[in-house]
Amino acid sequence: MSPAASPLIEADAIVHRYGERRALDGFSLSVVPGSVFGLLGPNGSGKSTFITMLAAMDRPTEGTLRVFGQGPCAALRQRVGTVFQENAQDPLMTIEETMRLAGRLFGMRGDSIGARTTELLGAFGLLERRHDAIATLSGGMRRRLEMARALLHDPELLLLDEPTTGVDPEERRALWSALLGSAKGARTVLLATNDLTEADGVCDHVAFIKDGRVVASGTPVELKRGLRDEAVRVRWPGATEGQLAEVAHWPGTGSVTHDGETVHITVDAASELVPRLFALAPEGIRAVSIERSSLEDAYFQHVSRQAVAAEVVRA
Amino acid sequence: MSSFAATSALFTRDLRAVVRSRSQLYSSILTPLLILVFLGNGVSHGLAPSKLSAGNFTAYLVAGAVAMTAVFSSTFSSASYYRDRDSGIMRMFLSSPQSGRTILLGKSLAGVLIGVLQAMVVLAVAAPFVQFDWQYGIPAGLLVAAASVVLLNVMLAGIAQALASRIQTMQGFHLIMNLALFPLLFFSGAFFPVDGLPMWLEVLARANPLSYAVDALELAAYADGTGGYFGLGLDFAVMGVISVAVYALGLARTPRLTWSGT
Repeated sequence: MSPAASPLIEADAIVHRYGERRALDGFSLSVVPGSVFGLLGPNGSGKSTFITMLAAMDRPTEGTLRVFGQGPCAALRQRVGTVFQENAQDPLMTIEETMRLAGRLFGMRGDSIGARTTELLGAFGLLERRHDAIATLSGGMRRRLEMARALLHDPELLLLDEPTTGVDPEERRALWSALLGSAKGARTVLLATNDLTEADGVCDHVAFIKDGRVVASGTPVELKRGLRDEAVRVRWPGATEGQLAEVAHWPGTGSVTHDGETVHITVDAASELVPRLFALAPEGIRAVSIERSSLEDAYFQHVSRQAVAAEVVRA
Repeated sequence: MSSFAATSALFTRDLRAVVRSRSQLYSSILTPLLILVFLGNGVSHGLAPSKLSAGNFTAYLVAGAVAMTAVFSSTFSSASYYRDRDSGIMRMFLSSPQSGRTILLGKSLAGVLIGVLQAMVVLAVAAPFVQFDWQYGIPAGLLVAAASVVLLNVMLAGIAQALASRIQTMQGFHLIMNLALFPLLFFSGAFFPVDGLPMWLEVLARANPLSYAVDALELAAYADGTGGYFGLGLDFAVMGVISVAVYALGLARTPRLTWSGT
């Protein structure tokens, strides 16, 4: 992938409103061709709204969106495959009927639908069930069918909206293997998820989304750069702002953020931090886990920084 | 070519869905037939209506039962918009390069064909058991009946699509369809002749597009050498214009295909 490659997706200051609520609020992003790009953010952060626009099923209220150099239009959909967060299937139809209908809707000929269906159902382990009604499939099988259906017309851009929700780990691995194997680097994949571990494993570029805007973007390595070596997760229900501020000032400590009862701390050496934590709050700490710093820590660091910046602006 | 293939694929898919949904298939036909058997025989023998040929209310009621079948069928078929939205498959349709019109056309044409077939089945099942005059002969009478049933179903498909464009829930859609269409059935001549009615009811009957379909059906099968209430020419002229206009209106209004209304 050349650094000078022109973007396949360009979003500039997009705003999208549902009534009074702003699902996207100054959303800007650039995705180069051939990448596996992760949109990471909590539920309601605007990921699905952005996917719907990329699929040319909705338009921005404000701002500019260009995909393959053009605005959202019906013709664009020919080049895009979409796996929706909820299955786009009729439980009374069989797998094969679903594929045939999808192929017709995308203007494919009968013989190429047949050949491609056999290829994809084989890749996703559904070939033996091709004559079965969707209602008889497991949740994981339905997600695999969703993937196969989205790839049927060989789209240049594949949009995946939380594709592995409800899928067990073994099935998840098989699904990603089939999916990335089918791309062969020629397809651009945009993955919207709140599973940061999954994104860390498959994405070569990610953007952190919060409240309808991108708060940080880069490769996972770039985003993790600057993090301390280790990530300490502390279950600390009664942690006060004063205690957290004190921890943040200890030597070797990076970011200190909290998410409900869990405090996330990045640190050079957890072995030095943990005894001091227990000394600071001997009754308050319920559990401690130590890991290498991950994309999840980078996410909390960037999102937390954004929240602090917003507080400073408001003040 | 792509739009034609897509329309054809959606048409086939909706036909298959109805064939698989046996309860829908049978209830649309059985309900009018039950009304024919019980109401027709009950009134014929219990009240002995003297204005009808040989007092045979069952034979008179056939045209109304056929029209009622079309009403039931169009309601069930149009409810498939809601089923497709709620099952999620509508998202697959909308993420394809096909326009909303192509999707609507495929689905509504399937609805029209199902309605026509069901209505003709009711006519075919009833005809051997009642006393029809077939004043134009059986083949021509069946042709007239089929043509009026096609136009009636096209009109009802248009009405259903126009309503579906405004109503968010399937329950609301069924309620409004029943509220809108059943009164139309009542003063269409389906259950009682419209000549000799009080003036206000006669005015409503003349303004009611279903009256022209029922009149054409009565003329095709039941009527004994009369010209009917409106006459076959006026029946088809009115039905033709209204059916095309209402169907075009229905296609022009995109139903709420997703919960967000897009």
